[in-house]
Amino acid sequence: MIELTNITKKYGRKWVLKDISMHIPKGEMTCLVGRNSVGKTTIMNMIMGLTHPTAGKITIDGEEIHPALYEKISYIPDQMIMVNQMTVGDAIAFMKAFYRHWNDERASALLYKFSLHRSDKIRKLSKGARGKVNMLLGLSIDADYILLDEPFSGIDPISREQILDVCMQQLVEGKGILITTHDLQELEQFADRAVLIEDGMIHRAFELEDMRATEGKTILDILREVDSNAQGE
Amino acid sequence: MRGITLNTRDPVYEQVMNHFKVLIANGELRPGDEIPSRRELARLFQINPNTVQRAYKEMEDAQLIHTERNYPSKVTTDEAVLIQVREELLHHAVETFVDAIHLIQVPMEEVLARVENRINELEREDDR
Repeated sequence: MIELTNITKKYGRKWVLKDISMHIPKGEMTCLVGRNSVGKTTIMNMIMGLTHPTAGKITIDGEEIHPALYEKISYIPDQMIMVNQMTVGDAIAFMKAFYRHWNDERASALLYKFSLHRSDKIRKLSKGARGKVNMLLGLSIDADYILLDEPFSGIDPISREQILDVCMQQLVEGKGILITTHDLQELEQFADRAVLIEDGMIHRAFELEDMRATEGKTILDILREVDSNAQGE
Repeated sequence: MRGITLNTRDPVYEQVMNHFKVLIANGELRPGDEIPSRRELARLFQINPNTVQRAYKEMEDAQLIHTERNYPSKVTTDEAVLIQVREELLHHAVETFVDAIHLIQVPMEEVLARVENRINELEREDDR
């Protein structure tokens, strides 16, 4: 489990996050939602050690974060960080050389699933296909946790379905997934839990099935409530 | 097994359970039939495997299905449970229908004639 306890983040005098406590269990998908993206991306960056909390603690499987623990996490940013001149095969070779826990078998399976070819030039691929290369590179690292930042933006419906299908396999294998997205309808029936960040604080955190059972509401319904409250102020 | 159309406001595990109850009541799933694995069903319905797990656990608790160790889960052969499933679905459907009809105060003869018409209509569609 990845656990954030009383996390606070200040950039200069500006509060970005205040007193955030949440956990990302294995075998479940946790969805970070909110009307603006600053807090969500900061949380992912902090888990990856790219920025540090002003106060509070982050642990992974009970250990306070240190560089060796990052092997347990695969962070898939919203845009691929690969040189345009590369082919898909070059990108795979680059990742394979860089990551100890690279899983070649999975990379080949995903190439096939996504109908990609090693000889494809990255700069010639469509946005959807580039999104799939990005997913392929991130998911072929054997990690216990996967952080997905806006995996569906600009991706066509069929590719979305394929990405969700891959996520599902990861859940079956017991991986913990943290995802941020604006495309909520993709996740209403798919995520286990939602954490709603508003003004840098956790506005609500809930299990989606419980929310449907007790209040008959979707994530979008809860977001609408936040929005109308904000307008009423 | 075909896919399923889910609504967004009821718990998914309940919708999955209900789907199975209907298949059992209408005979599409027979007593003793194997049902898809949790992973297969999650993929087929495009839902979270944990949700499927929960639906299967609830169905096991209700003795609708049973699972022996690592074998695929099977539909119960317990006659009493099967009768109860059908009874439950029928009760719920009639209650919902009658409540709606009651609100608009339709005479019994008219309701029965309409029901008969509609059933005939659906049967003709099925025959096609």
